[in-house]
Amino acid sequence: MTTHAPAPTAARRPAEGPGTDRSTKPQVPMHRKASGRKIRSNTVKAILVTLLLVFTLFPAYWMLSSAFDAQASSGGQSFFPKELSFTNFESVLTDGGFAVFLRNSAIVAGATVLISAAVALLASVAVARFRFKFRTAVLLMILVVQMVPLEALVIPLFVQIRDLQLLNTLLGLIIVYVALALPFGIWMLRGFVAAVPVELEEAAFLDGASWWRMFRSIMLPLVAPGLVATSVFSFITAWNEFIFAMTLLGGSTENYTVAIGLKQFFGLNSNDWGSVMAASTIITIPVMIFFILVQRRLSGGLVSGAVKG
Amino acid sequence: MSTLTPPTVTREAPASRVAGGPSPKRLRLLMRTRPWLLLAPALLILAVLLLWPLIRVVLFSLQDYGLREIVSGDTNFNGGANYAEVFADPTLWTVVLPNTVFFAAAAVIGTVVLGTLVALLMANLGSFWRTIVGSAIMVAWAMPAVTGTYVWVWIFDADRGIVNQTLMGLGLMDEPFNWFTNQFTFYGIALLNVIHHGFPFVAITVLAGLLGVSKEMLEAAEMDGAGAFRRFFQITFPSLRQVFSVVIILSTIWDFKVFAQIYLMPGGSGSNREVLNLGVWSYVESFGQNRYGFGSAIAVLLTLVLLGITIVYIRALMKEDEL
Repeated sequence: MTTHAPAPTAARRPAEGPGTDRSTKPQVPMHRKASGRKIRSNTVKAILVTLLLVFTLFPAYWMLSSAFDAQASSGGQSFFPKELSFTNFESVLTDGGFAVFLRNSAIVAGATVLISAAVALLASVAVARFRFKFRTAVLLMILVVQMVPLEALVIPLFVQIRDLQLLNTLLGLIIVYVALALPFGIWMLRGFVAAVPVELEEAAFLDGASWWRMFRSIMLPLVAPGLVATSVFSFITAWNEFIFAMTLLGGSTENYTVAIGLKQFFGLNSNDWGSVMAASTIITIPVMIFFILVQRRLSGGLVSGAVKG
Repeated sequence: MSTLTPPTVTREAPASRVAGGPSPKRLRLLMRTRPWLLLAPALLILAVLLLWPLIRVVLFSLQDYGLREIVSGDTNFNGGANYAEVFADPTLWTVVLPNTVFFAAAAVIGTVVLGTLVALLMANLGSFWRTIVGSAIMVAWAMPAVTGTYVWVWIFDADRGIVNQTLMGLGLMDEPFNWFTNQFTFYGIALLNVIHHGFPFVAITVLAGLLGVSKEMLEAAEMDGAGAFRRFFQITFPSLRQVFSVVIILSTIWDFKVFAQIYLMPGGSGSNREVLNLGVWSYVESFGQNRYGFGSAIAVLLTLVLLGITIVYIRALMKEDEL
């Protein structure tokens, strides 16, 4: 696992100076023992990388391979698809009703994102830019409610949504998801708001801008990247959520979201695995695209927030 | 991820500069109420949809709350009878608690160890391979829990799963083995699923920390003849202590409350009582048996455990800020 072979580093040191010891860089004169060690360490690394890639990617590969295999639902499986085709996808979208589930999920996730982003942005400005009584208490509460298990919330929220007559509706689900996405959204955006230089705000005030004008013209554009990242996160939360969708939509198949729509491909005795995997692929693709798009920005935001302190 | 305040603008300063605005007194009032105005929608939503339900689940847990009560909305307090029943139930001690605790422990250790090893490997790779590995683990991370669980179930499917097919093809097994009826193989697969989904977060976080570890210190230790293990445990690990405490506590919280990953596996939704964990037990008692009071009591216990871990987490975060 190590690339810092002790001997060559020590020998090289005076000539090269500090900070150039990555073994991936071309290295000048090296005696035989050291180069042998380097080859060995590279072989070890190659093996480890291969094992890691197989472990990480196999489930995704297997999902795709079964989804595109027309025979996945009938015959035995082998490591490569027997008959490449889109039939599983077609049957999932038409007979399986997955087109409707996709629409439902898009509505739910979209509404969740819009509402929670707006509310979280206002709240994060309050906690990042103002000092007020109970500020720490509010922050701690936001941190603590994130840890509450959904299993504890699902019973009272089921009763609450039923009292509002919103069981089996998408609106009931949206209300719950906004609440679930909010604490994390506020927590994330706080870092992004804090990273906007205060001097810019002061300059706007100096020019006579009102607070709202400053918020719209200075704060909003600068926080936009963070807003996008946070929105993607709440989108993924709403898209993937399972326990509330199952509980609140239990009775009405036409309002199912994708996460629980998969259930219907499971028969009593045999499962339609080709369809399950095709549907899983359809669910996973938007999440993957979003994930890859914001990943860099998201970790960047976390880090910059941390450094800012 | 910190709780310290960034430098804040004192609201009075800009106020005094704005000429011809509202009177200073009204402005000061506005400045004092503005944070609360901004916070109001969020606090309202959190109070109605998270805090009130939390209080309510505690209230339910103190009642014999069944189908009749849930329909009529009447109260039916029975003291601590639900808690007494939970603690007297052998299911809790022989099945649920061991399943929950041992699974969480194994999952946290597995996730953190694998994540750390991957981070160390990535730190020693050139930028090309680091990007490849980084993208691959991103795929594992992005896979939704629901679909990920179904894929693992399919891989280990008794009749046509690739694992059984391969083992039989190699002649290691004569007839298909059902991995999901046995408590240990069931949780073994759940473990695989959770570690596979959870280690990328650890790897990415630890890698970010690793890149900040002083190179000079590592080189100095190397020149003094310290081996790779010694360097890791005496230099890298201590300087990443905060990162590790956050990663470990967050993983503990997540792994204690796994639900979908267990519920969606064959027999996981209550039909096989050997594989219940706290969250699933609470859910199947409530929505399966209509014993909402009893289920709430279990949910409250789970929440208390997580709250304990959360307090430790907040302590760790606070400590980080002091640094």
